[in-house]
Amino acid sequence: MLLSQNALAIRPLNLYPVVYISLLFGILHAVSVSPDESCISFNLTLRNFRLILSWELKNRSIVPTHYALSYTIMRPAGEMIVEDCINITRSFCDLTDEWDSMTETYVTTVVGTRGNTTLVNCWDRVFPALDTSLEPPEFEIVGFTNHINVIVEFPPVIPKMLVMKNLQTQLSLIIEEKSGSIVKLHRPKIDGNTTGNFTYVIDKLIPNTEYCVSVYLEPKEAEKIRRSPLKCTLLQPGQESESSESAKIGGIITVFLIAAVFTSTIITLRRIGYICLRNNYPKVLNFRNRSAWVFPELPPLEAVAIVKIIHINRKKKVWNYTYDDESDSDNEAVPPASAGGYTMHGLTGLCPASMSSASSEDCFNPDPEEPPLPQPGAESEPLMAPGPGPWQSECTDGAYERTGNLLQDPFPEEDSCSTEGSEDRIIFNVDLNSVCVSTLNDDDPEVPPVLSCIPEETVDLEDAEEVETSLLVAGGEGMQLPFPSPPVECLWPEDAPSEKSDTAESDVDIGDGYIMR
Amino acid sequence: MTYRWILPMALLLCVSTTAISVNYDLLRSQLRSSNSACLMLLRQLNGAPQRCPEDTMNFQVPEEIEQAQQFQKEDAALVIYEMLQHTLRIFRRNFASTGWNETIVENLLVKVHLQMDRLETNLEEIMEEESSTWGNTTILRLKKYYRRISQYLKAKKYSHCAWTVVQAEMLRNLAFLNALTDYLQN
Repeated sequence: MLLSQNALAIRPLNLYPVVYISLLFGILHAVSVSPDESCISFNLTLRNFRLILSWELKNRSIVPTHYALSYTIMRPAGEMIVEDCINITRSFCDLTDEWDSMTETYVTTVVGTRGNTTLVNCWDRVFPALDTSLEPPEFEIVGFTNHINVIVEFPPVIPKMLVMKNLQTQLSLIIEEKSGSIVKLHRPKIDGNTTGNFTYVIDKLIPNTEYCVSVYLEPKEAEKIRRSPLKCTLLQPGQESESSESAKIGGIITVFLIAAVFTSTIITLRRIGYICLRNNYPKVLNFRNRSAWVFPELPPLEAVAIVKIIHINRKKKVWNYTYDDESDSDNEAVPPASAGGYTMHGLTGLCPASMSSASSEDCFNPDPEEPPLPQPGAESEPLMAPGPGPWQSECTDGAYERTGNLLQDPFPEEDSCSTEGSEDRIIFNVDLNSVCVSTLNDDDPEVPPVLSCIPEETVDLEDAEEVETSLLVAGGEGMQLPFPSPPVECLWPEDAPSEKSDTAESDVDIGDGYIMR
Repeated sequence: MTYRWILPMALLLCVSTTAISVNYDLLRSQLRSSNSACLMLLRQLNGAPQRCPEDTMNFQVPEEIEQAQQFQKEDAALVIYEMLQHTLRIFRRNFASTGWNETIVENLLVKVHLQMDRLETNLEEIMEEESSTWGNTTILRLKKYYRRISQYLKAKKYSHCAWTVVQAEMLRNLAFLNALTDYLQN
């Protein structure tokens, strides 16, 4: 009986250590499944604008079949259980609609179980502003002639964690353009209202050039970025419909500008006188209207008297004012004086056919009825025959000869142009009304006589030895003297040399306007 | 001839305007770079992992700071400077119970101080021209906010859990500060 009583007393004593040990193992087990920060590592990713929290157990030998996620913040808010992430088999959880602040510290707990056994219970602090990995958004590019359209896919609603109350975003969209070694960054403006397909145009590109585009999101705090893979396109020239049209328009405008500048330059130069453009041509140079050409009419034929200029080299004969018969010699150039103080000079020469008889008489003939050479002092009718004294114009040619015998009617009756004449006798009748003479100035013998009645021509009274040239002008009306008819008081200018040579013996007596020699 | 002075004056005005605009852009770039580095350093201060669910605290950051409302660049500069100043004061307190790496903490303090020095050169001109009352109100709220943090640490006797909660709150502050630098534009 005592052994049974002792066995009964020993059994409760043996149970206490068992219980104690069991409890100890239980506590240890409980401790082993308590949230252990070091047993898990979290990875927070923004993928297609969705906030995905994934985790990985550091002890990979333990593989739970199910997970449960919960979180809390450092302010009194309690434990927050994510209903969509309870008893899940995946090792990630979408917290886009759960977490609303990038700057909050989230103490996140993950319990891994297998069946009814909790294998892991891990927690860690997650600070999204530094711990979020921003994956690049999905995008497409469309290449044109000189620009590229970049189409970025935004969600219908941007996560509230990325948008602040002022609609500013916690991150920026960066579009990277690459061409060869040249990289350009474009920062399009986005905010809380940016949703759907967001199109950004990269313009001012070079046609027929390859361009590559990359898109990524840049956080405010984190410096680590993740670029998207490059998408490239080659701008084809064949797509340059817009650029060719613009090039044509530019070319046309350029041509117009050049023409305008050129025209304005010409106008300016003409106005300032640098260019003198005459457009008023003389009428005679106007050949446009050929039918209106006016051929100049030939002047009417005029009766032109053919006149021969005969140059006679003749010595001037000095008139010695002697009227002796013996003086009929070669050196007798002085015709005998007429009775009335007229000097009979015979002047023979050619007469034009058109001359009238009167004019011919004026030219050559003295009065045929006039008695032959009256004595000096005797008066006679004025002689009509002209005869320039000093120059003694003669219209003679080889067929005519002078005659020295004045008394013998040196002028033939039948023809004033008679060629008869004595050897050296010059007989001509002078109409003093038709010639001009000048009075001799005895005081100053050097003063040449003035021809005051010959306005058209001056007489150069030179040395008598000079060649005397006479010009006989014939007009339609007959022979005309080159000098107009002088008034009566005009006297023939005497030869100054002759006067000089014979001043001592010359004795001019002016009586009734006639020269008395 | 009489308008010869116009061209030099116009050039001087353009240069001065360009110089002023470059200051804000450069300041923004420098602040964002330094602030990102401060965030990374603060994030490394883990120590002994503790969840501390019983020590959580809502310090009530000013709403205009949390929501990053529209700021003038002058106001943004003042607010940023105030936040950096208080951050510096907090991390100079006793953090021995946390087990944090002191080198990391020291580097954090150096970067914060560097940002403050960059802001001080521009704040001298801003303080003279600042006439907005909004900036003064926000700064007053910021002062109260950081006083609550200091009082919390003191009350929790600078425990590890308290520092864990404050660490999380300072991470938020630096993230808000990054958003405020966006307003430092010309």
